[in-house]
Amino acid sequence: MGAMAINVTTSHSRQGAATNLPGRAGQTPAAAQNAPTPSRVAAHRLQRLAATRLFMTLCSFVLFFGLWQLAAASVDNRVLLPSPAQVAGALYQLGVEGEIFEQALVSTTRLAISLLIAVVLAIPLGFAMGLNERLNAYLDPFIELLRPISGIAWIPLALFIFGVGDALPVFIMVYVAFFPLLLNTVAGVRSVDPKLVNAARTMGVKRAPMLLHVLAPAALPMIMVGFRLAFAGAWSAIIAAELIGSPNGLGFAIEWYRELLMSPKVFAFILVIGVVGYLCDLLLRALQRVLTPWTEGTELA
Amino acid sequence: MSTIDAHAALSRRSRRAWLAQITLVPLVLVSIWEIWAVLANDPRAPAPTRVIETFIDLVAHGGLILATLQSLGRVVSGFCIALLIGVVLGVLMGSIRWVRNLLDPIVESFRPIAPMAILPIAILWFGTGTPAALSIVAYAAFFPLLLNTVHGVGNVDRKLVLAARTMGVPRWRILTNVVLPASLPSVLLGARLAMGVAWTAIIAAELGVGAKSGGGGSGGIGAMMFVFYAYNIDLNAIVVCMIVVGFVALLIDRLFRLAERRLMPWRI
Repeated sequence: MGAMAINVTTSHSRQGAATNLPGRAGQTPAAAQNAPTPSRVAAHRLQRLAATRLFMTLCSFVLFFGLWQLAAASVDNRVLLPSPAQVAGALYQLGVEGEIFEQALVSTTRLAISLLIAVVLAIPLGFAMGLNERLNAYLDPFIELLRPISGIAWIPLALFIFGVGDALPVFIMVYVAFFPLLLNTVAGVRSVDPKLVNAARTMGVKRAPMLLHVLAPAALPMIMVGFRLAFAGAWSAIIAAELIGSPNGLGFAIEWYRELLMSPKVFAFILVIGVVGYLCDLLLRALQRVLTPWTEGTELA
Repeated sequence: MSTIDAHAALSRRSRRAWLAQITLVPLVLVSIWEIWAVLANDPRAPAPTRVIETFIDLVAHGGLILATLQSLGRVVSGFCIALLIGVVLGVLMGSIRWVRNLLDPIVESFRPIAPMAILPIAILWFGTGTPAALSIVAYAAFFPLLLNTVHGVGNVDRKLVLAARTMGVPRWRILTNVVLPASLPSVLLGARLAMGVAWTAIIAAELGVGAKSGGGGSGGIGAMMFVFYAYNIDLNAIVVCMIVVGFVALLIDRLFRLAERRLMPWRI
Protein backbone atom coordinates (compact mmCIF):
# COMPACT_ATOMS: atom_id res chain seq x y z
CA MET A 1 0.00 0.00 0.00
CA GLY A 2 2.82 2.35 0.86
CA ALA A 3 4.67 1.52 -2.37
CA MET A 4 1.54 2.15 -4.39
CA ALA A 5 1.11 5.53 -2.79
CA ILE A 6 4.67 6.47 -3.67
CA ASN A 7 4.18 5.33 -7.31
CA VAL A 8 1.08 7.40 -7.70
CA THR A 9 2.81 10.39 -6.22
CA THR A 10 5.79 10.27 -8.57
CA SER A 11 3.89 9.64 -11.79
CA HIS A 12 1.53 12.48 -11.12
CA SER A 13 4.05 14.85 -9.73
CA ARG A 14 6.00 14.65 -13.02
CA GLN A 15 2.91 15.66 -14.92
CA GLY A 16 2.18 18.25 -12.25
CA ALA A 17 5.63 19.73 -12.72
CA ALA A 18 5.02 20.04 -16.45
CA THR A 19 1.68 21.74 -16.12
CA ASN A 20 2.76 23.95 -13.30
CA LEU A 21 5.90 25.47 -14.74
CA PRO A 22 4.84 29.12 -14.47
CA GLY A 23 4.48 28.67 -10.73
CA ARG A 24 1.65 28.13 -8.34
CA ALA A 25 -0.18 31.31 -9.22
CA GLY A 26 -0.37 30.51 -12.95
CA GLN A 27 -2.42 27.32 -13.04
CA THR A 28 -5.10 28.53 -15.41
CA PRO A 29 -3.05 29.32 -18.50
CA ALA A 30 -1.00 26.14 -18.10
CA ALA A 31 -4.10 24.04 -17.74
CA ALA A 32 -5.58 25.56 -20.88
CA GLN A 33 -2.47 24.70 -22.91
CA ASN A 34 -1.71 21.16 -21.83
CA ALA A 35 -4.87 19.46 -20.66
CA PRO A 36 -7.92 18.52 -22.69
CA THR A 37 -10.41 19.60 -20.03
CA PRO A 38 -9.91 21.65 -16.89
CA SER A 39 -11.97 19.16 -14.89
CA ARG A 40 -9.52 16.37 -15.74
CA VAL A 41 -6.64 18.48 -14.55
CA ALA A 42 -8.55 19.24 -11.39
CA ALA A 43 -9.21 15.53 -10.90
CA HIS A 44 -5.53 14.73 -11.40
CA ARG A 45 -4.51 17.42 -8.95
CA LEU A 46 -6.97 16.12 -6.40
CA GLN A 47 -5.73 12.57 -6.87
CA ARG A 48 -2.13 13.67 -6.50
CA LEU A 49 -2.99 15.67 -3.42
CA ALA A 50 -4.74 12.67 -1.86
CA ALA A 51 -1.76 10.45 -2.65
CA THR A 52 0.66 12.94 -1.10
CA ARG A 53 -1.54 13.13 1.95
CA LEU A 54 -1.55 9.37 2.33
CA PHE A 55 2.20 9.19 1.92
CA MET A 56 2.79 11.99 4.43
CA THR A 57 0.38 10.35 6.90
CA LEU A 58 2.40 7.15 6.67
CA CYS A 59 5.62 9.12 7.18
CA SER A 60 3.98 10.82 10.11
CA PHE A 61 3.17 7.58 11.90
CA VAL A 62 6.54 6.04 11.06
CA LEU A 63 8.18 9.13 12.57
CA PHE A 64 5.99 8.99 15.67
CA PHE A 65 6.47 5.31 16.39
CA GLY A 66 10.17 5.54 15.51
CA LEU A 67 10.72 8.35 18.03
CA TRP A 68 8.66 6.49 20.64
CA GLN A 69 10.71 3.32 20.08
CA LEU A 70 13.97 5.27 20.36
CA ALA A 71 12.84 7.01 23.54
CA ALA A 72 11.65 3.73 25.04
CA ALA A 73 14.95 2.05 24.17
CA SER A 74 16.96 4.82 25.81
CA VAL A 75 14.77 4.99 28.93
CA ASP A 76 14.68 1.20 29.06
CA ASN A 77 12.08 1.08 31.80
CA ARG A 78 8.87 -0.84 31.23
CA VAL A 79 7.03 1.13 33.91
CA LEU A 80 8.07 4.63 32.87
CA LEU A 81 7.88 4.26 29.12
CA PRO A 82 6.84 0.94 27.56
CA SER A 83 7.87 0.40 23.95
CA PRO A 84 5.28 0.35 21.12
CA ALA A 85 5.67 -3.43 20.93
CA GLN A 86 4.93 -3.86 24.65
CA VAL A 87 1.85 -1.64 24.34
CA ALA A 88 0.71 -3.59 21.28
CA GLY A 89 1.16 -6.79 23.31
CA ALA A 90 -0.92 -5.38 26.16
CA LEU A 91 -3.53 -4.21 23.68
CA TYR A 92 -3.70 -7.68 22.13
CA GLN A 93 -3.97 -9.36 25.53
CA LEU A 94 -6.70 -6.96 26.71
CA GLY A 95 -8.51 -7.45 23.42
CA VAL A 96 -8.41 -11.25 23.64
CA GLU A 97 -9.59 -11.18 27.25
CA GLY A 98 -12.32 -8.79 26.15
CA GLU A 99 -11.58 -6.22 28.85
CA ILE A 100 -11.11 -3.42 26.34
CA PHE A 101 -14.55 -3.96 24.84
CA GLU A 102 -16.11 -4.27 28.30
CA GLN A 103 -14.72 -0.97 29.56
CA ALA A 104 -15.30 0.84 26.27
CA LEU A 105 -18.90 -0.38 26.28
CA VAL A 106 -19.39 0.88 29.85
CA SER A 107 -18.04 4.32 28.97
CA THR A 108 -19.86 4.68 25.64
CA THR A 109 -23.14 3.55 27.21
CA ARG A 110 -22.77 6.23 29.87
CA LEU A 111 -21.89 8.73 27.17
CA ALA A 112 -24.95 7.83 25.09
CA ILE A 113 -27.32 7.98 28.08
CA SER A 114 -25.90 11.34 29.19
CA LEU A 115 -26.14 12.87 25.72
CA LEU A 116 -29.71 11.60 25.41
CA ILE A 117 -30.70 13.16 28.75
CA ALA A 118 -28.96 16.41 27.80
CA VAL A 119 -30.79 16.49 24.45
CA VAL A 120 -34.16 15.85 26.10
CA LEU A 121 -33.53 18.65 28.62
CA ALA A 122 -31.72 21.24 26.51
CA ILE A 123 -33.45 21.19 23.12
CA PRO A 124 -37.07 21.80 24.24
CA LEU A 125 -35.86 24.48 26.65
CA GLY A 126 -33.72 25.95 23.88
CA PHE A 127 -36.73 26.15 21.56
CA ALA A 128 -38.83 27.74 24.29
CA MET A 129 -36.12 30.31 25.06
CA GLY A 130 -35.46 30.97 21.40
CA LEU A 131 -39.13 31.60 20.64
CA ASN A 132 -40.10 33.41 23.84
CA GLU A 133 -38.07 36.57 24.33
CA ARG A 134 -39.32 37.08 27.91
CA LEU A 135 -38.48 33.55 29.05
CA ASN A 136 -35.03 34.00 27.56
CA ALA A 137 -34.55 37.31 29.41
CA TYR A 138 -35.40 35.66 32.73
CA LEU A 139 -33.47 32.41 32.34
CA ASP A 140 -30.39 33.59 30.49
CA PRO A 141 -28.73 35.41 33.44
CA PHE A 142 -29.09 32.31 35.60
CA ILE A 143 -27.57 30.11 32.91
CA GLU A 144 -24.69 32.52 32.41
CA LEU A 145 -24.13 32.44 36.18
CA LEU A 146 -23.94 28.65 36.24
CA ARG A 147 -22.04 28.08 33.00
CA PRO A 148 -18.55 29.21 34.10
CA ILE A 149 -18.55 26.51 36.82
CA SER A 150 -17.03 23.62 34.91
CA GLY A 151 -18.47 20.13 35.19
CA ILE A 152 -15.24 18.93 36.77
CA ALA A 153 -15.77 21.31 39.71
CA TRP A 154 -19.04 19.50 40.46
CA ILE A 155 -17.24 16.18 41.05
CA PRO A 156 -16.66 16.52 44.83
CA LEU A 157 -20.26 17.57 45.50
CA ALA A 158 -21.57 14.89 43.12
CA LEU A 159 -19.39 12.32 44.90
CA PHE A 160 -21.14 13.21 48.12
CA ILE A 161 -24.63 13.14 46.59
CA PHE A 162 -24.36 10.13 44.27
CA GLY A 163 -21.41 8.20 45.64
CA VAL A 164 -19.09 6.16 43.44
CA GLY A 165 -20.97 4.55 40.56
CA ASP A 166 -22.90 5.14 37.34
CA ALA A 167 -24.81 8.23 38.45
CA LEU A 168 -21.75 10.42 39.04
CA PRO A 169 -20.23 10.32 35.52
CA VAL A 170 -23.69 10.58 33.96
CA PHE A 171 -24.54 13.64 36.04
CA ILE A 172 -21.24 15.36 35.21
CA MET A 173 -21.62 14.62 31.50
CA VAL A 174 -25.24 15.81 31.35
CA TYR A 175 -24.15 19.04 33.03
CA VAL A 176 -21.25 19.52 30.60
CA ALA A 177 -23.32 18.67 27.50
CA PHE A 178 -26.31 20.78 28.53
CA PHE A 179 -24.85 24.26 27.96
CA PRO A 180 -23.51 24.02 24.40
CA LEU A 181 -26.70 22.21 23.33
CA LEU A 182 -28.94 24.82 24.93
CA LEU A 183 -27.05 27.87 23.72
CA ASN A 184 -26.75 26.55 20.16
CA THR A 185 -30.44 25.63 20.07
CA VAL A 186 -31.40 29.14 21.22
CA ALA A 187 -29.06 30.69 18.65
CA GLY A 188 -30.32 28.30 15.96
CA VAL A 189 -33.98 29.09 16.62
CA ARG A 190 -33.28 32.82 16.70
CA SER A 191 -31.33 32.70 13.44
CA VAL A 192 -34.29 31.25 11.51
CA ASP A 193 -35.16 33.62 8.68
CA PRO A 194 -38.40 35.41 9.74
CA LYS A 195 -39.46 35.41 6.08
CA LEU A 196 -39.75 31.62 6.24
CA VAL A 197 -41.94 31.78 9.32
CA ASN A 198 -44.08 34.56 7.85
CA ALA A 199 -44.46 32.75 4.55
CA ALA A 200 -45.59 29.60 6.33
CA ARG A 201 -47.96 31.60 8.51
CA THR A 202 -49.44 33.30 5.44
CA MET A 203 -50.14 29.89 4.00
CA GLY A 204 -52.00 28.97 7.16
CA VAL A 205 -49.49 26.57 8.71
CA LYS A 206 -50.48 25.71 12.30
CA ARG A 207 -48.20 25.88 15.34
CA ALA A 208 -47.12 22.24 15.57
CA PRO A 209 -46.29 21.78 11.86
CA MET A 210 -44.53 25.15 11.94
CA LEU A 211 -42.28 23.87 14.72
CA LEU A 212 -41.67 20.53 13.05
CA HIS A 213 -41.34 21.51 9.39
CA VAL A 214 -40.10 25.12 9.45
CA LEU A 215 -38.29 25.95 12.69
CA ALA A 216 -36.68 22.59 13.47
CA PRO A 217 -35.03 22.04 10.06
CA ALA A 218 -33.82 25.64 9.95
CA ALA A 219 -32.32 25.44 13.44
CA LEU A 220 -30.90 21.94 12.96
CA PRO A 221 -27.43 22.92 11.63
CA MET A 222 -26.70 25.01 14.72
CA ILE A 223 -28.09 22.30 16.98
CA MET A 224 -25.80 19.74 15.36
CA VAL A 225 -22.80 22.00 15.96
CA GLY A 226 -23.93 22.24 19.59
CA PHE A 227 -24.26 18.48 19.75
CA ARG A 228 -20.70 17.97 18.57
CA LEU A 229 -19.41 20.49 21.10
CA ALA A 230 -21.48 18.73 23.77
CA PHE A 231 -19.94 15.41 22.80
CA ALA A 232 -16.40 16.81 22.90
CA GLY A 233 -16.97 18.28 26.37
CA ALA A 234 -18.64 15.13 27.67
CA TRP A 235 -15.91 12.85 26.32
CA SER A 236 -13.30 14.93 28.09
CA ALA A 237 -15.32 15.04 31.32
CA ILE A 238 -16.09 11.31 31.46
CA ILE A 239 -12.40 10.46 31.79
CA ALA A 240 -12.05 12.77 34.82
CA ALA A 241 -15.34 11.60 36.34
CA GLU A 242 -14.55 7.90 35.92
CA LEU A 243 -10.97 8.32 37.07
CA ILE A 244 -12.08 9.88 40.35
CA GLY A 245 -15.51 8.44 41.00
CA SER A 246 -16.29 5.22 39.19
CA PRO A 247 -15.53 1.53 39.72
CA ASN A 248 -15.28 0.86 35.97
CA GLY A 249 -15.00 2.45 32.53
CA LEU A 250 -12.05 3.68 30.47
CA GLY A 251 -11.17 6.53 32.85
CA PHE A 252 -11.10 4.10 35.76
CA ALA A 253 -9.00 1.57 33.84
CA ILE A 254 -6.08 3.92 33.10
CA GLU A 255 -5.72 4.87 36.76
CA TRP A 256 -6.27 1.32 38.01
CA TYR A 257 -3.40 -0.04 35.91
CA ARG A 258 -1.24 2.97 36.84
CA GLU A 259 -1.65 2.01 40.49
CA LEU A 260 -0.65 -1.55 39.61
CA LEU A 261 2.33 -0.08 37.69
CA MET A 262 1.24 -1.99 34.58
CA SER A 263 2.19 0.82 32.21
CA PRO A 264 1.72 -1.05 28.91
CA LYS A 265 -1.93 -1.48 29.84
CA VAL A 266 -2.20 2.21 30.84
CA PHE A 267 -0.89 3.23 27.42
CA ALA A 268 -3.13 0.69 25.70
CA PHE A 269 -6.21 2.12 27.38
CA ILE A 270 -5.16 5.70 26.58
CA LEU A 271 -4.92 4.58 22.96
CA VAL A 272 -8.42 3.11 23.22
CA ILE A 273 -9.73 6.42 24.64
CA GLY A 274 -8.32 8.20 21.60
CA VAL A 275 -9.71 5.68 19.12
CA VAL A 276 -13.19 5.56 20.68
CA GLY A 277 -13.31 9.38 20.83
CA TYR A 278 -12.23 9.59 17.21
CA LEU A 279 -14.80 7.00 16.08
CA CYS A 280 -17.60 8.78 17.94
CA ASP A 281 -16.64 12.07 16.28
CA LEU A 282 -16.62 10.34 12.90
CA LEU A 283 -20.11 9.01 13.63
CA LEU A 284 -21.32 12.50 14.56
CA ARG A 285 -19.84 13.97 11.38
CA ALA A 286 -21.67 11.31 9.35
CA LEU A 287 -24.87 12.10 11.24
CA GLN A 288 -24.35 15.78 10.51
CA ARG A 289 -23.94 15.01 6.79
CA VAL A 290 -27.09 12.89 6.72
CA LEU A 291 -29.27 15.27 8.74
CA THR A 292 -28.01 18.58 7.34
CA PRO A 293 -26.43 17.84 3.97
CA TRP A 294 -26.90 21.47 2.87
CA THR A 295 -24.35 22.77 5.38
CA GLU A 296 -21.45 20.74 3.98
CA GLY A 297 -18.24 22.73 3.75
CA THR A 298 -19.21 25.30 6.36
CA GLU A 299 -17.36 23.44 9.05
CA LEU A 300 -16.90 25.16 12.40
CA ALA A 301 -13.62 24.06 13.90
CA MET B 1 -24.21 40.46 19.54
CA SER B 2 -25.12 39.99 23.19
CA THR B 3 -24.02 43.52 24.06
CA ILE B 4 -26.18 44.89 21.26
CA ASP B 5 -29.09 42.87 22.59
CA ALA B 6 -28.45 44.19 26.08
CA HIS B 7 -28.38 47.78 24.85
CA ALA B 8 -31.58 47.25 22.92
CA ALA B 9 -33.16 45.80 26.03
CA LEU B 10 -32.00 48.80 28.03
CA SER B 11 -33.51 51.27 25.63
CA ARG B 12 -36.78 49.38 25.60
CA ARG B 13 -37.26 48.99 29.31
CA SER B 14 -36.06 50.99 32.23
CA ARG B 15 -32.82 49.97 33.85
CA ARG B 16 -34.55 48.98 37.06
CA ALA B 17 -36.91 46.58 35.32
CA TRP B 18 -33.95 45.03 33.58
CA LEU B 19 -32.13 44.57 36.88
CA ALA B 20 -35.21 42.96 38.40
CA GLN B 21 -35.41 40.66 35.42
CA ILE B 22 -31.87 39.35 35.58
CA THR B 23 -31.90 38.84 39.35
CA LEU B 24 -35.38 37.32 39.66
CA VAL B 25 -34.66 33.68 38.76
CA PRO B 26 -31.35 33.43 40.67
CA LEU B 27 -32.94 35.06 43.73
CA VAL B 28 -35.94 32.72 43.69
CA LEU B 29 -33.70 29.67 43.33
CA VAL B 30 -31.35 30.80 46.09
CA SER B 31 -34.34 31.39 48.38
CA ILE B 32 -35.70 27.91 47.65
CA TRP B 33 -32.25 26.52 48.41
CA GLU B 34 -32.12 28.39 51.75
CA ILE B 35 -35.63 27.21 52.72
CA TRP B 36 -34.73 23.64 51.77
CA ALA B 37 -31.61 23.79 53.96
CA VAL B 38 -33.60 25.13 56.93
CA LEU B 39 -36.23 22.41 56.49
CA ALA B 40 -33.57 19.72 56.10
CA ASN B 41 -32.43 20.66 59.60
CA ASP B 42 -28.99 19.18 59.06
CA PRO B 43 -26.03 21.36 60.01
CA ARG B 44 -24.01 19.85 57.16
CA ALA B 45 -26.55 20.75 54.45
CA PRO B 46 -25.21 23.61 52.37
CA ALA B 47 -27.24 26.80 52.54
CA PRO B 48 -26.59 30.21 50.94
CA THR B 49 -26.10 31.91 54.32
CA ARG B 50 -23.69 29.22 55.52
CA VAL B 51 -21.86 29.37 52.20
CA ILE B 52 -21.30 33.11 52.71
CA GLU B 53 -20.13 32.51 56.29
CA THR B 54 -17.76 29.79 55.13
CA PHE B 55 -16.48 32.03 52.37
CA ILE B 56 -15.63 34.84 54.80
CA ASP B 57 -14.06 32.31 57.11
CA LEU B 58 -11.91 30.75 54.38
CA VAL B 59 -10.80 34.11 53.05
CA ALA B 60 -9.93 35.36 56.54
CA HIS B 61 -7.99 32.16 57.11
CA GLY B 62 -6.03 32.85 53.93
CA GLY B 63 -6.27 29.27 52.72
CA LEU B 64 -8.70 29.93 49.92
CA ILE B 65 -6.78 32.81 48.39
CA LEU B 66 -3.51 30.92 48.64
CA ALA B 67 -4.98 27.83 46.98
CA THR B 68 -6.55 29.90 44.20
CA LEU B 69 -3.30 31.72 43.55
CA GLN B 70 -1.42 28.43 43.49
CA SER B 71 -3.83 27.01 40.91
CA LEU B 72 -3.67 30.22 38.87
CA GLY B 73 0.12 30.15 38.95
CA ARG B 74 0.11 26.61 37.58
CA VAL B 75 -2.40 27.54 34.89
CA VAL B 76 -0.34 30.54 33.79
CA SER B 77 2.93 28.57 33.65
CA GLY B 78 1.31 25.64 31.85
CA PHE B 79 -0.34 28.06 29.47
CA CYS B 80 3.00 29.76 28.72
CA ILE B 81 4.62 26.43 27.88
CA ALA B 82 1.71 25.60 25.57
CA LEU B 83 1.82 29.09 24.06
CA LEU B 84 5.49 28.78 23.20
CA ILE B 85 5.25 25.31 21.68
CA GLY B 86 1.83 25.82 20.13
CA VAL B 87 2.58 29.11 18.40
CA VAL B 88 6.03 28.12 17.11
CA LEU B 89 4.73 24.80 15.81
CA GLY B 90 1.58 26.48 14.54
CA VAL B 91 3.54 29.03 12.51
CA LEU B 92 5.69 26.25 11.04
CA MET B 93 2.67 24.09 10.22
CA GLY B 94 0.70 27.04 8.88
CA SER B 95 3.41 28.31 6.55
CA ILE B 96 5.24 25.17 5.40
CA ARG B 97 3.03 22.62 3.73
CA TRP B 98 5.12 19.48 4.22
CA VAL B 99 5.49 20.19 7.94
CA ARG B 100 1.74 20.49 8.18
CA ASN B 101 1.12 17.27 6.23
CA LEU B 102 3.68 15.47 8.36
CA LEU B 103 2.46 16.61 11.79
CA ASP B 104 -1.28 16.90 11.17
CA PRO B 105 -2.01 13.15 11.52
CA ILE B 106 -0.15 13.01 14.86
CA VAL B 107 -1.96 16.07 16.20
CA GLU B 108 -5.33 14.73 15.07
CA SER B 109 -4.62 11.38 16.71
CA PHE B 110 -3.89 13.00 20.05
CA ARG B 111 -6.80 15.42 19.97
CA PRO B 112 -9.52 12.97 21.08
CA ILE B 113 -7.37 11.93 24.07
CA ALA B 114 -8.73 13.95 26.98
CA PRO B 115 -6.24 15.88 29.16
CA MET B 116 -7.22 13.77 32.17
CA ALA B 117 -6.24 10.61 30.31
CA ILE B 118 -2.66 11.90 30.53
CA LEU B 119 -2.86 12.07 34.32
CA PRO B 120 -1.67 8.49 35.02
CA ILE B 121 1.39 9.03 32.81
CA ALA B 122 2.02 12.42 34.41
CA ILE B 123 1.91 10.83 37.87
CA LEU B 124 4.25 8.03 36.73
CA TRP B 125 6.75 10.49 35.29
CA PHE B 126 6.55 13.48 37.62
CA GLY B 127 4.97 12.20 40.83
CA THR B 128 2.03 13.96 42.43
CA GLY B 129 3.43 17.49 42.65
CA THR B 130 3.24 20.63 40.56
CA PRO B 131 5.00 19.26 37.42
CA ALA B 132 2.28 16.62 36.91
CA ALA B 133 -0.46 19.26 37.10
CA LEU B 134 1.56 21.58 34.85
CA SER B 135 1.98 18.98 32.13
CA ILE B 136 -1.77 18.31 32.02
CA VAL B 137 -2.52 22.04 31.77
CA ALA B 138 0.05 22.46 29.01
CA TYR B 139 -1.36 19.45 27.13
CA ALA B 140 -4.91 20.80 27.40
CA ALA B 141 -3.97 24.33 26.31
CA PHE B 142 -1.74 23.15 23.48
CA PHE B 143 -4.46 22.05 21.02
CA PRO B 144 -6.59 25.20 20.81
CA LEU B 145 -3.42 27.31 20.55
CA LEU B 146 -1.87 25.15 17.84
CA LEU B 147 -5.01 24.68 15.73
CA ASN B 148 -5.96 28.35 15.81
CA THR B 149 -2.43 29.47 14.99
CA VAL B 150 -2.29 27.07 12.04
CA HIS B 151 -5.66 28.35 10.89
CA GLY B 152 -4.64 31.98 11.30
CA VAL B 153 -1.27 31.65 9.57
CA GLY B 154 -2.75 29.48 6.81
CA ASN B 155 -5.48 32.01 6.07
CA VAL B 156 -3.31 35.12 5.84
CA ASP B 157 -4.21 36.97 2.64
CA ARG B 158 -1.65 35.74 0.09
CA LYS B 159 -1.67 39.11 -1.63
CA LEU B 160 -0.13 40.70 1.47
CA VAL B 161 2.70 38.17 1.52
CA LEU B 162 3.29 38.48 -2.24
CA ALA B 163 3.27 42.26 -2.03
CA ALA B 164 5.86 42.21 0.75
CA ARG B 165 7.98 39.73 -1.23
CA THR B 166 7.75 41.89 -4.35
CA MET B 167 9.08 44.80 -2.37
CA GLY B 168 12.05 42.70 -1.33
CA VAL B 169 11.17 42.22 2.32
CA PRO B 170 13.29 39.38 3.78
CA ARG B 171 11.49 36.17 4.83
CA TRP B 172 11.99 36.71 8.55
CA ARG B 173 10.56 40.23 8.40
CA ILE B 174 7.58 38.99 6.37
CA LEU B 175 6.88 36.58 9.21
CA THR B 176 7.15 39.14 12.01
CA ASN B 177 5.62 42.14 10.23
CA VAL B 178 3.03 40.61 7.91
CA VAL B 179 2.06 37.06 8.83
CA LEU B 180 2.00 37.33 12.62
CA PRO B 181 -0.07 40.55 12.83
CA ALA B 182 -2.48 39.20 10.22
CA SER B 183 -2.98 35.98 12.16
CA LEU B 184 -3.22 37.68 15.56
CA PRO B 185 -7.04 37.45 15.78
CA SER B 186 -6.89 33.67 15.40
CA VAL B 187 -4.02 33.30 17.86
CA LEU B 188 -5.82 35.39 20.47
CA LEU B 189 -9.01 33.40 20.00
CA GLY B 190 -6.94 30.25 20.48
CA ALA B 191 -5.38 31.77 23.61
CA ARG B 192 -8.79 32.52 25.12
CA LEU B 193 -10.09 29.02 24.41
CA ALA B 194 -6.82 27.52 25.69
CA MET B 195 -6.97 29.46 28.93
CA GLY B 196 -10.55 28.25 29.45
CA VAL B 197 -9.68 24.58 29.03
CA ALA B 198 -6.48 25.08 31.03
CA TRP B 199 -8.47 26.32 34.03
CA THR B 200 -10.81 23.32 33.80
CA ALA B 201 -7.83 21.02 33.40
CA ILE B 202 -6.04 22.32 36.51
CA ILE B 203 -9.14 21.66 38.63
CA ALA B 204 -9.39 18.16 37.18
CA ALA B 205 -5.68 17.51 37.65
CA GLU B 206 -5.59 18.75 41.25
CA LEU B 207 -8.74 16.81 42.08
CA GLY B 208 -7.32 13.67 40.50
CA VAL B 209 -3.90 14.04 42.06
CA GLY B 210 -5.54 14.81 45.41
CA ALA B 211 -7.82 11.79 45.11
CA LYS B 212 -5.04 9.42 44.10
CA SER B 213 -2.25 10.62 46.37
CA GLY B 214 -4.57 10.41 49.37
CA GLY B 215 -4.52 13.79 51.03
CA GLY B 216 -4.03 16.41 48.37
CA GLY B 217 -0.40 17.13 49.18
CA SER B 218 -0.03 19.06 45.92
CA GLY B 219 -2.25 21.99 46.92
CA GLY B 220 -4.37 24.20 44.75
CA ILE B 221 -8.10 24.80 44.79
CA GLY B 222 -8.92 21.44 43.20
CA ALA B 223 -7.04 19.56 45.92
CA MET B 224 -8.69 21.82 48.51
CA MET B 225 -12.12 20.73 47.25
CA PHE B 226 -11.14 17.10 47.49
CA VAL B 227 -9.91 17.53 51.06
CA PHE B 228 -13.22 19.16 51.96
CA TYR B 229 -15.03 16.20 50.42
CA ALA B 230 -12.91 13.34 51.72
CA TYR B 231 -11.74 14.53 55.14
CA ASN B 232 -13.83 17.41 56.47
CA ILE B 233 -17.09 16.59 54.64
CA ASP B 234 -17.75 20.33 54.56
CA LEU B 235 -20.28 20.81 51.76
CA ASN B 236 -20.50 24.56 52.29
CA ALA B 237 -16.76 24.85 51.69
CA ILE B 238 -17.08 22.73 48.52
CA VAL B 239 -19.77 25.09 47.22
CA VAL B 240 -17.54 28.07 48.06
CA CYS B 241 -14.74 26.49 46.02
CA MET B 242 -17.11 25.83 43.12
CA ILE B 243 -18.22 29.46 43.08
CA VAL B 244 -14.61 30.64 43.17
CA VAL B 245 -13.77 28.28 40.29
CA GLY B 246 -16.65 29.71 38.27
CA PHE B 247 -15.73 33.27 39.14
CA VAL B 248 -12.11 32.83 38.09
CA ALA B 249 -13.23 31.21 34.83
CA LEU B 250 -15.47 34.19 34.13
CA LEU B 251 -12.70 36.62 35.01
CA ILE B 252 -10.20 34.90 32.70
CA ASP B 253 -12.70 34.95 29.84
CA ARG B 254 -13.48 38.65 30.31
CA LEU B 255 -9.78 39.55 30.57
CA PHE B 256 -9.00 37.83 27.28
CA ARG B 257 -11.97 39.44 25.55
CA LEU B 258 -10.74 42.82 26.81
CA ALA B 259 -7.25 42.05 25.51
CA GLU B 260 -8.73 41.11 22.13
CA ARG B 261 -10.52 44.47 21.95
CA ARG B 262 -7.44 46.41 23.06
CA LEU B 263 -4.98 44.65 20.76
CA MET B 264 -7.26 44.62 17.75
CA PRO B 265 -9.35 47.79 17.86
CA TRP B 266 -10.01 47.45 14.12
CA ARG B 267 -12.13 44.35 14.71
CA ILE B 268 -14.42 46.07 17.27
